[in-house]
Formats: sequence, C-alpha cells, structure tokens
Amino acid sequence: MDTELLKGTLALLILSLLNRRTMYGYEIAATVHRDTDGTFTWREGSLYPSLHKMEAEGLIVGEWEEKETGRKRRYYHITKKGRGALREKMQSWTELCNAVNRVLEKSDGQD
Amino acid sequence: MDKIEHYLDQVCRSIGGPRSLRQHIRQELGEHLRDAVAEHLSGGMSEPEAIDRALADFGGPEQVRAELEATHGHRLLPVVIDKAMQWKEKTMRAKWLWVTWAHLVLVLVIALEVLTLTFATMFLVPRLEKLMRDGLIIPAAFEESGTQWIPAFLRGLNGAGQHTTWIILGVALVGALFEWRVRSENKSFIRLSALGTAAVGLTVAVALTAGALTLSFFLGLPAMDRIAAPFGIEQLASIDTSVSAIERALPTKDWEAMQENANRAARGVNTLVNVPFAIPGATSRRERPTIDELRGLLDAAHESLRQAQQAIQAKDVEGVEAALRDFRKSYHPLREAAKKSSGDEGARQ
Repeated sequence: MDTELLKGTLALLILSLLNRRTMYGYEIAATVHRDTDGTFTWREGSLYPSLHKMEAEGLIVGEWEEKETGRKRRYYHITKKGRGALREKMQSWTELCNAVNRVLEKSDGQD
Repeated sequence: MDKIEHYLDQVCRSIGGPRSLRQHIRQELGEHLRDAVAEHLSGGMSEPEAIDRALADFGGPEQVRAELEATHGHRLLPVVIDKAMQWKEKTMRAKWLWVTWAHLVLVLVIALEVLTLTFATMFLVPRLEKLMRDGLIIPAAFEESGTQWIPAFLRGLNGAGQHTTWIILGVALVGALFEWRVRSENKSFIRLSALGTAAVGLTVAVALTAGALTLSFFLGLPAMDRIAAPFGIEQLASIDTSVSAIERALPTKDWEAMQENANRAARGVNTLVNVPFAIPGATSRRERPTIDELRGLLDAAHESLRQAQQAIQAKDVEGVEAALRDFRKSYHPLREAAKKSSGDEGARQ
C-alpha cells in the first residue's frame, strides 16, 4: 500500500488498536500486519516517532512494565483525550471513505 | 547482537533531550528489534539472517533517527562527532598517503637541517674562530653573563662536526636495527615520532647556531672601530700636514705647493667620508658626534677644500683664506673628537 496514504492513517490505526487494549510497540506493528494480512507494510521504525508524538500530545500514555522473563516493555494505553481524538479521526475517515467511494462508484458505473 | 547495538548507537546518539530519554528510546527500540529477531528465528531463519531482516524491516538508521529527531530534537555535539567520524573514515582509507607524506616531509626537514649545520661547522665556525684569533672580534665580549654559552656551544658544534661520519653511521645503525627488529603494528607511528623528535632537536640546534654566529658578529663589532682607528688617525694626520703646508705656502704664494697639498687633503677627507667610523671616538657611546654628524662635518670640510682648490687655481689669496677658515670650522670638531678619544684610550691604558 502507498506509504504516504499509510502515514495519514497511522495515528488512527494506533489509537484504534490501543482502544482495544494496552499494547507495546512491536505488538502494535505485529497486530497491524496480521489484521491487514500484510497489506500495511511500513518501516517499523517510523511507528515510534508517531507513538512518542501522540504521547507528547496526551493522546496516549506509555509505561514500562517488567515481565516474568525479565524483559521490560513499554506499554501504551489510550487516554480520554485520545478516545476523543479517535472518534474525530474515525468520523473523518468514514466521511473520507464515503466520499471517495461515491466518486469511485460513479466512475465505475461509467465504464 | 552487536549489529543491533551498533544500529541503536547510530539511531539514538544524537536525539535531543535528557540522557534518560535517550536510554528509554534505545531500550524500547532494542526490545522491538529483539522481538522481531526472535520471531524470524522461530520462522526458521539463521541468527544473522534474522538480525538483517529485523533491521531492514525497521528502516535505515538515518531515516529513523531523522524522524525521532523531528519529535525530540537533536544534540549538536553528536552531529559534529558524526561528521568528524565520517571524515576520519574517509581519510583513513588514504592512511598510507598521509604516513608517506609525513615521512617525506620529516626526512626533508632533517636533511636540510643537517646540511645547514654541516655548512656552519665546515665554513662559518672556522671563519669566526679565525676572526677571533686575529682580534677582529673581541673574545672579551663573550665573558659577559648571557653570552658565555656562545663559544662553548660553537666549540661543541665544531667537535660534533669532526665526528660527523661516526654520528651518521650510528644513526644508520639504530635505524637499521629498528627496521629489522621492531615488529609492532605501530611501527610507522614510532618511526614518525622518532623522526619528529630528531627534526625538533635539529631545529633547536640550527636556531642556536644561527643565534651564536649572529651574536658573535654583533658583539664583535666594537672591535672594528678600534682596528680602523690607526687608519683614521693616519688620514687625519695627513690632512693636518696638508692644510698646514697650504697655510705655510700662502704667504709666499707658492700656488703649485698649495694645489698639491689641497688635493692631498681633499683625498684624505673624501676617504674619511666613506669610513667615518675610522675617526677615533666616532662609535663611542659617550657624548661624541654621531656618525651622521661626522659625515656632515666631513662633507662640509670637503666642500671647503674644493673651494680652496678653486681659489688656488684662480690664485685668489683671500678666497683661499676664506675657504681655509670654513674648513677649520668643520674640521675642528673632528679633531676634537679624535683627541678626546686618544686621551680616553691613554687614560684607560
């Protein structure tokens, strides 16, 4: 998939996933990969600047947790502000999809 | 896993903010990469393959670093260090070129310094010693504190110069032993250090030699006027005699004798114009006429004698008398300076 298109949707995907449950970075990347059947392939490194930016904006909060294995992972969970932002983004996305779909449907009918 | 650590170094070292933030980011990215490697390993990849794949999926270090810097800012110093490291890596590829160039330059410098010292030892120092033996440079000048090192240094240099062959053979032997026995990986740096030290040492020796030779001549200069003094006295005496002869010939109007003596006196004055320091006392530090003042007086005396010569040719008695009066005015201070100096010399002796 076009990486530019993906960039615009990355925040929406992250907020959406974190709305399900708390996750750590690799888990987010792996879930996106699995749930989209590999449609979304991006440089995994670009996930973290987005996570840190959203954390700075107060949309999510990251916390270190140590597992039984001794490994520490930074788990992110969505905030109240993040949920509000998610709703707005989902609405925008829906509107965008509907608008794009309408154009595509009309174009498709003319073939 | 060193590859991952190196990757994390590249990504995290220039991220701005506190050190703890960089450590957290590094740990977070590291955990992600280790998770990815573990998954690839469980998928059947070898460890190097799994690491390469995990790093490739994560993205190039420059891109990830740029994105993290856009979020957290960047530190200036690591950026400068990065540039320096890049420059170092580039230039180290041409290491042999730098090392060869440094060797060549040092060897050239040493060769030039050795040539300079050899020239000084073979030609300049013996000449200076001859001048001292001949009394043209006063040995007493080197008895003052601060100058005593000069003769000792020049003697040492002369002594070393007499053993040049042995010194060269010794240096060649040490060099050959070094090249034969030393097997260190830093051999070229050791060689460069030795050459550099030799070059610095020889530079000091050349500077001391130049200083010793220059100072010797400066300090020896006072002897020059003493050596020239007899010549000056002789010239003054000749002028005195010639002018007295003109005065004696004037009443009898012996124009031929007057002309001859006027010419002789003019030649004497003209000679002293070129070497005014030969007039005794001219270079004394006490209150005496300066060289420029003496030269001015000599010029005036020479002009008076020229007028006297013209008056003699015209057989003009009054003109000759007037010219001689002018001559005495200019000549008297010269005579006085010489007399004072002779008196001082006599008193000293």
